[in-house]
Amino acid sequence: MSTLRTEEMTLNMGPQHPSTHGVLRFVVRADGEVMREAIPDVGYLHRSIEKIAEKVGYRGFMPYTDRVDYVCAMFTNQGWGMACEKLAGIEVPKRGEYCRVIAAEFNRIASHLLSVGAMAMDIGAMTPFAHVIREREMINDLIEELCGARLTFNYMRIGGVAWDLPPGWREKALAYLDHFDPILEEYNALISWNKIYVERLANVGVITAADAINYNLVGPNLRACGIKWDIRKDIAYSVYPDFEFEVPVGNGQWGKLGDSMDRYVVRIREMAESSKILRQALKKIPPGAVLAKVVRNFKPPAGECQIRVESGRGDMGWYLVSDGSGYPWRVHVRTGSFAAMGIIQKLSAGLMIADLVTLIASLDVIAPEIDR
Amino acid sequence: MIVVSEYVHNIKDTVSTIFEGMAVTASHFMRKPYTVQYPDRMPVRVQDTLPFRYRGILDVDLEICTGCLACERACPIDCIVIVAEKDQQTRQLLLSQFDIDIAKCMYCGLCSEVCPTGAIHHTTEFEGADYSLESLIRRFVQDPLMAYKAKKGPETDPKIAPILSRGMAYLDQWAQPGGEKPGGDEPA
Repeated sequence: MSTLRTEEMTLNMGPQHPSTHGVLRFVVRADGEVMREAIPDVGYLHRSIEKIAEKVGYRGFMPYTDRVDYVCAMFTNQGWGMACEKLAGIEVPKRGEYCRVIAAEFNRIASHLLSVGAMAMDIGAMTPFAHVIREREMINDLIEELCGARLTFNYMRIGGVAWDLPPGWREKALAYLDHFDPILEEYNALISWNKIYVERLANVGVITAADAINYNLVGPNLRACGIKWDIRKDIAYSVYPDFEFEVPVGNGQWGKLGDSMDRYVVRIREMAESSKILRQALKKIPPGAVLAKVVRNFKPPAGECQIRVESGRGDMGWYLVSDGSGYPWRVHVRTGSFAAMGIIQKLSAGLMIADLVTLIASLDVIAPEIDR
Repeated sequence: MIVVSEYVHNIKDTVSTIFEGMAVTASHFMRKPYTVQYPDRMPVRVQDTLPFRYRGILDVDLEICTGCLACERACPIDCIVIVAEKDQQTRQLLLSQFDIDIAKCMYCGLCSEVCPTGAIHHTTEFEGADYSLESLIRRFVQDPLMAYKAKKGPETDPKIAPILSRGMAYLDQWAQPGGEKPGGDEPA
């Protein structure tokens, strides 16, 4: 009797696949159910946002920055605003900076909520997603009241923020935070410490600290590997030095250090820290103007600058070159999701196909942020 | 022996954490539902519950439009088209076209910020579904009309005065960046 012949199988996952978080494609070479390699194929959502910046000018580009990463658009707003301000030497009023931090941290909570909820859903738990969407909806309501939009905020302007906190908003925000902290505990009881869930995530997609640095991972993905690196603390910008908060790092409590569970738990802890920052910011917010005086025909002097913002997906870089005219000469965005895509090929070797979904979800990649 | 105890422990852990999660789910039978039956079973229209800053479909009060083209210039995607020419006889601006392509508009609010009278403004209307792209172009000018000219002192025309005061209130309270005074919202 001759032995059965086996051969390698090439699978296409995506671009339209429900668990790829947008339009992503993976070419999977698999031996049965074990992957040899998953090659990410990016570029499906490329909209030449960087080129658009050269065409619409400094002020007109602000709404476009929302589209770079629509899940946490406040950070892209802030990055663009900060880059322009640095180039032109504009100082943002203190209250403006506080408004920025408040809006951004609310957005970070919303972004991480979506990330942890989508992760549970990708693995097969449907209920937690409904819970996080409910919470995110409440944050969206707050942000809607603040800036008039729920997703593409366009809240910040060059020189500060567009609008002050509406009357009574502070109390509403504080009331929401009082409601949110117990909800986080409830959510943990619902899914995070569930034995099946932990077993599904622990020891899957382990990233060592050296690998994380070599592959340029940032944000929660990097911190889950045990490296304490947070732009808010280490290269402090805006008014973050005013606040006391911890930078949560992974500790390998459930498996190996830097596995999917660590990345998940870091996000859960970061939400609690954001809540802490928000409480301090809402208490400390000083009176005054929220927007610096900027000439309507904004023309920064010729030069270049680089800005780093700790977004929901980590260190986001904005590189801006000006030639002194009313339009940027070159804009480049460096995002965390793109770096995270790079490591998938390495990590996927030896994983099950079903674990690829876990891996993508735990790295929290957002498709528009990869391609821009 | 250790293997057996670990096996039993794992099962115990799994069952207890599942019940913990189920308890959370069960507690939601006692809570008020968060969902609403949009659109037909709402006590009030959604449009009426939206905050004042909500950026819905754009509307233009042509009576107070000065024809300055600031909104057309501010729009990053050129979805506003205005034709305003100087009338040779009356030496005044004559508005003959004011179109907004709602299909293109991205509701960023940059146009309503720069308007000097608050003529172009966001409404809380968001239901814009239609059968053709053509019908999504809102044409505001029916017959060519004179652009509004700001008077020295308060507006006296009884027809225009309420529209202008609405526009100015819109600008003061919301539209102009940094416009709202932080009154009553100071830290304790």
